[in-house]
Amino acid sequence: MTAVVPGALATDAPVATGPEQTAGSRRARRGWRALLGRPTFLVSVAVLVWWVVLAVGWHALGLQPFAKSGELLQAPSAAHWFGTDSLGRDVFARVAAGARPALVIGPFGAALATVLGGTLGLVAGFHRGWVDTALMRFFDVLLALPSLIFLVVLVGAFGVSTPALVLIVGVLFAPGIARIVRAAVLVEMGKSYVQAARLQGESALRAMLTELLPNVVGVFVVQAVLSLGAAIFITASLSFLGLGSQPPAADWGLDINANRAYLQAAWWTVVFPGVAVASIVVAANLIADNLKEVAE
Amino acid sequence: MSTARRRRLLSLVGQRVVQIPLVLVVVSILTFWLVQVVPGDPGRNALGQYATAAQVQAWNVDHGLDGSLVSRYLHWIGGFVTGDWGTSFVYSEPVRDLVLGRLGNSLLLGAYAFVIMVPVALVLGAVQAYRQGRRSDRAVTVGLLTVSAIPEFVVGIVLLLVFAVWLRVVPVQASGALDAGFGERLRVLTLPAVVLALAYLAVLTRMVRAGVIETIRSQFHRTAVLKGLTTGQIVRRHVVRNALIPTFSVLGIYLGTLLGGSVIVETLFSYPGLGALLVSAAERKDALLLESGVMLAGALSLGALLLTDLLFVVVDPRIRFERRVTA
Repeated sequence: MTAVVPGALATDAPVATGPEQTAGSRRARRGWRALLGRPTFLVSVAVLVWWVVLAVGWHALGLQPFAKSGELLQAPSAAHWFGTDSLGRDVFARVAAGARPALVIGPFGAALATVLGGTLGLVAGFHRGWVDTALMRFFDVLLALPSLIFLVVLVGAFGVSTPALVLIVGVLFAPGIARIVRAAVLVEMGKSYVQAARLQGESALRAMLTELLPNVVGVFVVQAVLSLGAAIFITASLSFLGLGSQPPAADWGLDINANRAYLQAAWWTVVFPGVAVASIVVAANLIADNLKEVAE
Repeated sequence: MSTARRRRLLSLVGQRVVQIPLVLVVVSILTFWLVQVVPGDPGRNALGQYATAAQVQAWNVDHGLDGSLVSRYLHWIGGFVTGDWGTSFVYSEPVRDLVLGRLGNSLLLGAYAFVIMVPVALVLGAVQAYRQGRRSDRAVTVGLLTVSAIPEFVVGIVLLLVFAVWLRVVPVQASGALDAGFGERLRVLTLPAVVLALAYLAVLTRMVRAGVIETIRSQFHRTAVLKGLTTGQIVRRHVVRNALIPTFSVLGIYLGTLLGGSVIVETLFSYPGLGALLVSAAERKDALLLESGVMLAGALSLGALLLTDLLFVVVDPRIRFERRVTA
């Protein structure tokens, strides 16, 4: 987060920005310490790390998500921690392997949305004028449209390949982020350091990148983490609808939908993937929440 | 209504009246183009593999599916505007009857969810505001945010497990709901409606809380307390009305989604609503059904947005509309 500071100091800075920047980095350090003292933040990070480890390493752990490894629909036991599904596959292995699709599309989609929406918000907030008005009015109305229905249409057209899903999630989330970043930029624009930079003859691009961006970067980070949670939420929902990963892939949404028929006979085939989705999305939201509170 | 207010109302209506059709045109073009990008010959899909090439060609001409993308779009949008929405390839039924029938089901479910959600949000938000900063305030916020962060199908599964499988108070599927009597219908629809309501409860409650806090801090609230009104009187006369104002803006955004059918909840409970219909249309490449359904859902959402904007101006004389847009 403080990586942007050196660039800002390299300008022949007016007296005002010097102390402000060091105060900023001191604040950032204090922010980190405050974060590490928050139990919800630590637990959420641990949950996220747990899923990342499984997503990367389930293969190395010798888990068999695709093979029949026991009797059909066995209740959880020492041999099968989460039981087995209707094809005799180990539910724990499938839940572990299901972390991978969730953690591929989620982060990349969220990153794309943040860059796209953040840039639009930054430019719109900085330049104002009719471009800003047109863009924001358009987003205003766009955000009122039911997003999942449009997602269904987009997926129908572009397919469910990973790059397509990343692109779709990125484009879908960008307007919301643009609006929030713009609001943050508008607040900053009223402050004198921006005017000072402009009067000093800094170009628009330079003023945006070296003056504005470091001061709204907190908003960026919070939005990125929030959209990570939302992206995982959305991709799981798509798989649940049968519009994401296809069988026999190990995917939480897909497994929940496939095992729905066994809800009465074998709750574990549905509940464990459900808990997995819920834990990762809630963790992302709590991290964003904590970041926001510490930033304030 | 004062002249200034009436003028503001008119200009707002004028703005939206230009904006909404523009967005709908963009939506229609995008949807049409996206659906047509899908590979596969609709005539072939409809007639099956045993039809001759000539028959397929004739069917396509018949349904306005030959010619360029532009002429096909004009043919479709012309039909859509005049009420001829074509015939569904998959269901072999007129699209209009199909979509409107399903829309009715979705409206029913959405309205039920709405009726559950609004009072709960009002009470929770008000209680939170009066206990602002205390532990119970924080607990409600975290609890609601957590519930709204969990995908609907997970919340739904848990509720199904508890109420349908273990307690057996409601059936697992909601598809039988529409043939039954009113009481039975209400019973069957309760679980889907609760799941739908839970998804939006957090945001709504947060708005109510903010509205009530703003009111409590206001001068007129202090005056009301100082002149000796009872708490009940203050809440009824002053707090409720003002707390409702910010709530409206959120309702408008969600009303369209709520009424246009929740794809996930309808699929989970096998409820024949518009959302579930559109998913199956997308899966089976039923172009006409998908296009008309999406247009209808879009129009509905934008209509709800317009309605809330209007309510906003009518209810609160202080609202300058610009402020809300930039906020």
